[in-house]
Amino acid sequence: MNRMIVSVLGVAMVAALGVGCSQTMGGSAMAGASMTTSGTKAAGLRSALNNLLQEHVYLAAAATGAALDGRDAEFKAAAGALDQNSIAISKAIGSVYGTDAERAFLPLWRRHIGFAVDYTVGVASGDKTKADKAVGDLLGYTEDFGAFLASANPNLPKNVVAGLAKHHVVTLKDVIDAQASKDPAKAYMALRTAAGHMSMIADPLAEAIVKQFPDKFTG
Amino acid sequence: MTSWVVRTLVCAGVMAAAVNVAAGDAEVTVRLFQFQPGETAIRAGTRVVWKNQDDIKHTVTAGVPGQQDGRFNLALPGKGATVSHEFTEPGVYRYFCDRHQSMRGEIKVN
Repeated sequence: MNRMIVSVLGVAMVAALGVGCSQTMGGSAMAGASMTTSGTKAAGLRSALNNLLQEHVYLAAAATGAALDGRDAEFKAAAGALDQNSIAISKAIGSVYGTDAERAFLPLWRRHIGFAVDYTVGVASGDKTKADKAVGDLLGYTEDFGAFLASANPNLPKNVVAGLAKHHVVTLKDVIDAQASKDPAKAYMALRTAAGHMSMIADPLAEAIVKQFPDKFTG
Repeated sequence: MTSWVVRTLVCAGVMAAAVNVAAGDAEVTVRLFQFQPGETAIRAGTRVVWKNQDDIKHTVTAGVPGQQDGRFNLALPGKGATVSHEFTEPGVYRYFCDRHQSMRGEIKVN
């Protein structure tokens, strides 16, 4: 991929994420509605968080795959959908911890997507310095993510959450690397692993919330 | 008896030092990656104390992202850390966290 294409993609990524930022939750109703589709509220919460976080991985991979292949329109659509997912995840946080927490979480979460974009652009352009910096930023972000959830919920130790988020970073990086090497079989295997890992975050998060608010999430 | 009194006084002193908030101070809590309250109104000469309840480093940096005004730049290295700044002149002082730039706050000094 030549420099010009990389540059165009970089601008397109920012633009697409910007478009996503201005949209509302729209059709993604997982944050609230799906919490009531299961037998119990606790089970609904677990299911909703798993759905949202797995959707995050699939949409991120769709965006990075399209970007690396130069499918610009598809990238923009995927990035827009990915941002809708980010908003839905923030609303899920807000449904438990309030709108202030929701507003604080969304930019934090979007930040790690920006770092993933940086990594993708770095890989696509062969810019190892940029890619390495993005990995460092992503790993630094995991500490923020751990700190946020630890502040919200005393049942979520910062280091444990940060460790789980690091695994998310590593597994998603594997997907991007496989996509960049034009190895679809490897990319989809890595994608299954990355998506499957999200239950390692969603399940303990749901359990910790239920433990914190047993009256709100019965069952 | 004397040693009991001394121990009590020492204890009280340690606690006061750890809280680091004096009468008349305004307090801002840093929690869940937010300055709470986001806007604080005080009189000139009041000291504002920021207390970090997040287990991560934050800063209290005067200005807005990309445009620090240099009035203060205080580090809150981790959970339990406190910093303070005395505002002597009336005005509106905006600040943010340089590590998490979506975190914003404002002090209105009357």
